[in-house]
Amino acid sequence: MFPTCCCASSCPIWARPLDSLRSTVFDGYHMLSPRPIEPMDAHSKQTDVYIVIAAFNEADVIGEVVADLLGDYPNVVVVDDGSDDHTADQAGKAGAVVLRHMINRGQGAALQTGLTYALQQGASYIVTFDADGQHDKADLPKLLHPLRSEEADVCLGSRFLEDGSAVPLPRRVVLWLAVLFTRVTSGLRLSDAHNGLRAFSRAAAEHIDLRLDRMAHASEVLDQIRSSGARFQEIPVRIRYTEYSMAKGQHGSAAFRIAWDYLVGRVFR
Amino acid sequence: MNLFQTLALIPLLVMASLTVRGAVRGQIRKRVAFLWLLLWLGAAAALVWPRSTVFVAERLGIGRGADLVLYVGVLLSLSGFFYVYTRFRRLDRQITLLVRAVAIENAHLPTPLPVSPPRGTAKTS
Repeated sequence: MFPTCCCASSCPIWARPLDSLRSTVFDGYHMLSPRPIEPMDAHSKQTDVYIVIAAFNEADVIGEVVADLLGDYPNVVVVDDGSDDHTADQAGKAGAVVLRHMINRGQGAALQTGLTYALQQGASYIVTFDADGQHDKADLPKLLHPLRSEEADVCLGSRFLEDGSAVPLPRRVVLWLAVLFTRVTSGLRLSDAHNGLRAFSRAAAEHIDLRLDRMAHASEVLDQIRSSGARFQEIPVRIRYTEYSMAKGQHGSAAFRIAWDYLVGRVFR
Repeated sequence: MNLFQTLALIPLLVMASLTVRGAVRGQIRKRVAFLWLLLWLGAAAALVWPRSTVFVAERLGIGRGADLVLYVGVLLSLSGFFYVYTRFRRLDRQITLLVRAVAIENAHLPTPLPVSPPRGTAKTS
């Protein structure tokens, strides 16, 4: 029964759901302090953050990923992209809100569904997170902090800012090409163009409208970030390359398909 | 008319009659049906009077009538392909929007933890 602390954000009490508001009534100190202390202390539940997870046939791991996140982030939205397995059941059992695509529409489509839903629910911050367990919950405060302090509107996870050598070599080559591709097509200088771990402020998320349903959304979202004028930062994050995530991940050959989808998407609007 | 001309005319006539029927029943818009009819008639004319293609081809500066038919055929196929492709993309987009709307409409909220008993009829499913 720890009171949820209001100092998690810049204290917008009016933006809080009722139960956390109740606890802030007793919390005289933080209500008076204009600048809250560091976000994410041990008991703060981040009710204004929505975690969006697009999942396709991830029944084996999705429950674990959701349960882990729910410890600190009560709003986890799993978009089941027409899975053939029990992804939706597992995610629901673990405590996530589950949105089900009746038929498979691709990761970009699923993420946009999650973003739209989170905005409808009044999210102040939206994080996209991978379903396969390759992202680390411990990185989230690092991505959210610049948003909360209003230094940035979007934070992009990058696996190469710190220790890129942890990334398997073939993957490093493909990702390096993706970075180059992004530099040419979008004019953005990033160290990691295709990282699924991203955090958006509400205003930035409202400018995102992913129309490339499959994997090319990763480039599309960068274009939209740039054209909306949102301030973005790259934040070093850790990617866990497990056997599972490697098998489920994109293979190098998919890069051509992604590039094609993206280029066609730039021609047909 | 030789055998080929007779045989090839049959599908053209079938297509033309289907087009007319579609237009009469309102399944095809009149203007579109007219374009299709024009295509079938053109094909039939080229089939029955092969010399006519030579006549047109020479006017256009193309050597042979058969070349004209080939060029026109390729152009029509390509533009048809392009048209279908754009239609497909639009359809794809509409399906995604539909799937998204249904997904959000039917959001499955997590079952609340049994801290406070649910209001109304308490039922477990």
